[in-house]
Amino acid sequence: MTEQDAEKTPLSGKSEAGSTSGNDERPRGGPVMDRRTLMQGAGAAVAATTVLSRAMPVRAASDEPVKIGFIEDQSGNLSIYGIQKLHAAQLAVQEINDGLTLAGGPVGSGGMGTFGSYAAQPPVEKEIGAEEQFINDGGPQSQKGMVFAEDSDVLIKSGDTGILGRKVQLIAPDGQSTNTLWQQLTRRLIQEDKVDVLVAGFASAEREAIRPIVDQHKQLYFYTNQYEGGVADEFTFCTGAVCEQQVIPVMQYMVEKYGPRIFTIAANYNFGQLTAAWVRSFAPVLKAQVIAEEFPPLEVSEFSTVIAHVQQAKPDWVMTLLVGQNQSNYYPQAAAAGLKYPMASTVNMAQGYEHKRFKPPSLANMHNAVNYMQEIPTKRNQEFVKRFYKMFPNDPYLGQMAQNTYFSIHLYAKAARLAGTTDQQRVRKVLEAGWAIEAPEGSVFLEPGTHHCSHYIRLAKADADHNISFVREWPMIEAWWLQRLGVNLVRHPEHKQYVPDEDPFFKMFVASK
Amino acid sequence: MDALSEVVSVLYQFGTNAVFLLLSAIGLIVILGMMNIINLAHGEFMMMGAYIATIATEHGSPLPVAAFLSFLGVALFGMILERLVIRRFYGRELGALVVTWGISLILAQGALLLFGPYMPAIAIPSGSFSLGRYSFSYYWLILIAVSIILVGALWLIYNRTSFGLMARATMQNPAMARSLGVDVEKVYALTFGLGAGLAGLSGALLAPTTSIAPFMGQQFVAPAFITVVVGGGANVIAGAVGSSALLSFVQTPVGLLLGTFSGMVALLLTALIIIRILPAGISSLLQGRSRLAGAR
Repeated sequence: MTEQDAEKTPLSGKSEAGSTSGNDERPRGGPVMDRRTLMQGAGAAVAATTVLSRAMPVRAASDEPVKIGFIEDQSGNLSIYGIQKLHAAQLAVQEINDGLTLAGGPVGSGGMGTFGSYAAQPPVEKEIGAEEQFINDGGPQSQKGMVFAEDSDVLIKSGDTGILGRKVQLIAPDGQSTNTLWQQLTRRLIQEDKVDVLVAGFASAEREAIRPIVDQHKQLYFYTNQYEGGVADEFTFCTGAVCEQQVIPVMQYMVEKYGPRIFTIAANYNFGQLTAAWVRSFAPVLKAQVIAEEFPPLEVSEFSTVIAHVQQAKPDWVMTLLVGQNQSNYYPQAAAAGLKYPMASTVNMAQGYEHKRFKPPSLANMHNAVNYMQEIPTKRNQEFVKRFYKMFPNDPYLGQMAQNTYFSIHLYAKAARLAGTTDQQRVRKVLEAGWAIEAPEGSVFLEPGTHHCSHYIRLAKADADHNISFVREWPMIEAWWLQRLGVNLVRHPEHKQYVPDEDPFFKMFVASK
Repeated sequence: MDALSEVVSVLYQFGTNAVFLLLSAIGLIVILGMMNIINLAHGEFMMMGAYIATIATEHGSPLPVAAFLSFLGVALFGMILERLVIRRFYGRELGALVVTWGISLILAQGALLLFGPYMPAIAIPSGSFSLGRYSFSYYWLILIAVSIILVGALWLIYNRTSFGLMARATMQNPAMARSLGVDVEKVYALTFGLGAGLAGLSGALLAPTTSIAPFMGQQFVAPAFITVVVGGGANVIAGAVGSSALLSFVQTPVGLLLGTFSGMVALLLTALIIIRILPAGISSLLQGRSRLAGAR
């Protein structure tokens, strides 16, 4: 067998009889393209580029669309979250282009409050067909107290088409759940597409990967996801919920109902570690105690060791801060292993819709303090949910981060209209006017000094059949932690993220155990 | 009673970790170990198997039937893929790597486009039993039994059937096998199909323990490659069994004492050390003691 007759077999590169000269990988003959062809081709390409770019006519400013740069993970481990956010953004852009906006402004909308009667228990909802319906309305209306009328017409005419007469265009590349790609896409959107606002980020790792680039180019940036808190950055507006709005309410409820011994399972990256630090620091304030912690990496999808740890420790309840598709496998595996502890989370159910993805009773007794879930029964939310599914009938769920994205884009449009321009530095200053916006969750206030939002928080509980009821409500919780740290971005611009270690309050309670 | 439950818990975790590695790797044993094709679409084959099983169980078929359908479906797909694409890359390992990576992108995004971001999961069958303060799910015990049977069946196919004989001959010396009348093209197609089918089958078996989503295959790719490479090529089946046992033997106690993260670190360090000391994998230690498939 000569070299020319080397056969194409799977192992021919490694055959005993063959030597390296029989290796198919080496190219045969000379170089693929000769120098002359290369120069001709390159010359043609350069000429074409020059001609094409010069052929572009200069466009009037009012013809230019308003560009919203939008990076989310449409593929990869985090795609179940990214696609919802993309669809919510598309809905918001559509509504803005159709001349609609959410009610709100530098003054809130307000509504009537009065004395009334209400039921002792919250209603229980179940998805029947395509709709959420009440299967248990909580009983007779035996309680008396203050009730507030909900303003249901929150989507009103803006008196404008698009923003200041210009159409809004969403430029939405796919981050592919890869941080380095996020950085490339951010640079491209800022430098080539010259977007007027950047709305991006799911995981805290992604946000921190792109925030230095945002700061370097002074790009107006909305981070619409819930996260561990602490970002004090003059160019960044964080409209998602933070730890003091989610961790603390749910811990308070769980310690009150189930007991003081806590086991924390958190994803092993900045969000999981910092949120677990919050749980650890706040437990002594509630006279509770974190008896053990586990930090599985994001790639882990097999949890028998974690389950054994939980059984060994025998907590009163488990705090689960699991992120991504791989880690959500904990729930069916724990249920199958017979683990019956009540669970609390700030991330699960409301964004990854685990209560719909996994069979009951995997999520039984799961509690989550959320600013939004699709199941919220108010009229303004049900209208929003209907609009969303009309545009995207095949979507599986409309979650917390999608809603945040939706109202954030509407908020940007309102600020740009008030500013009279899409110039980023001016819109940034106008966003510090003290905005209230009537989001589907309720009234949301963007605090000027901290660039964070106060939210309407509800405590959702899933029962053994994965029906949802909202067992406690806090109509407005401010994002007060940055205020306690003394952050005021209007007076003292900054570009950092604070961590719990920098707050003496945390040490005060952890030390005096 | 307490000591017994602790021992059972440790053994159970050891078995679970080992089975996860072995089932992730079993399809890749044939394709990478025997045919030497770096199949980056391995995770997507498992994903296809999980999807077929999910759709079948949604239409009422019991899990064993669904798993068998997954095997057949992905095997068929594998054979078609081999004939159309993979065949052109024999001997060109880097080319095969790139083309299978492209296939994995197409399959995963295709699943996303066709089926959306998730499918309802299969409930884990069989319930749980408890011992002392621990409780365990039966399903992992079932999976341990099934993977032992699968490995045994694979060994039988390659050592006791005429197909196995022809396959081993083809892998050793294709020209000679051809001249002795073995239909080499068919052997390649069937072998690749078998590897793909096994990947689909293990995807279907692991489907109840995981969420069904287009990119679910990625969680299996790293464990599969680590297991097969640490196992080595001299004796692929015994190597993979040995490496999953050894890696799990290190991962389990470290994970128990120091947490899951440390367990993963220990597993990766062990793999690193073994490959450094024994570049041909641990099966090179076993070479010469048996005459299993793929001996070079």
